[in-house]
Amino acid sequence: MSRVKATVDFIHTWQHPDEIADEVESELRFHVQMRTRANIEAGMTPEAAQLSAEQSFGDFNRVKDSCCEIKRGFPFDLKHIRMGLYIVIACIAGGVALVAINLPHHSPFSVLWQLVAIAVLLRSFLVGRRKQ
Amino acid sequence: MSKAKAGLLQGTLDMLILKALALGPLHGYGIGQRIAQISGDELKIEEGSLYPGLYRLERRGWIESEWDVSENNQRAKFYKLTRAGRKQLIIEEQNWERLASATMKALRAN
Repeated sequence: MSRVKATVDFIHTWQHPDEIADEVESELRFHVQMRTRANIEAGMTPEAAQLSAEQSFGDFNRVKDSCCEIKRGFPFDLKHIRMGLYIVIACIAGGVALVAINLPHHSPFSVLWQLVAIAVLLRSFLVGRRKQ
Repeated sequence: MSKAKAGLLQGTLDMLILKALALGPLHGYGIGQRIAQISGDELKIEEGSLYPGLYRLERRGWIESEWDVSENNQRAKFYKLTRAGRKQLIIEEQNWERLASATMKALRAN
């Protein structure tokens, strides 16, 4: 699943939770129906076939809930997002440092900005190293 | 192997699903059937447990699904392997072979 499709699916799942639950249920029901049909073809009575199909499937509601939960789950790895965020912060800090360098050097304001930028860059670098 | 059907080792189900889908697109029920068929009916899978596995694999981008019409004209969700899934299957097969051969070596040691 591409990142774009995963994002679209994720948003759709949260916008239409009932639709997703119905879709999962249809899929699981289809499975039970197919198994029932196979059992009947193997010589069981329709009632016994249905019962056996439900038993071999396991806990229907638990399976349905697990599937819905996976569907609702966040599609991206949080550590990648965190790392992306650190990179963005580091880029901003780099930009701030560049701007600060171009300010008159005797200004306390430029010194302060440069120190802040250096601190943020250093922090991002250390966090980045720790994540590896 | 004995007459009793073997339960699945942790993590094996994902590989078996990928393997079943490597042979062509299938719906969930068909995947269960194909796993039974390719394992010579030796592996015991609780049928419902296939589905969370399928959803997880789809979330990882290793398989994709679409609704279509089944062999008995019912609406069913079909799964197929993606390119990433095909690569993952090769990795899983290699890991499995390495693990199996190391385990056998350990068991045969005097």
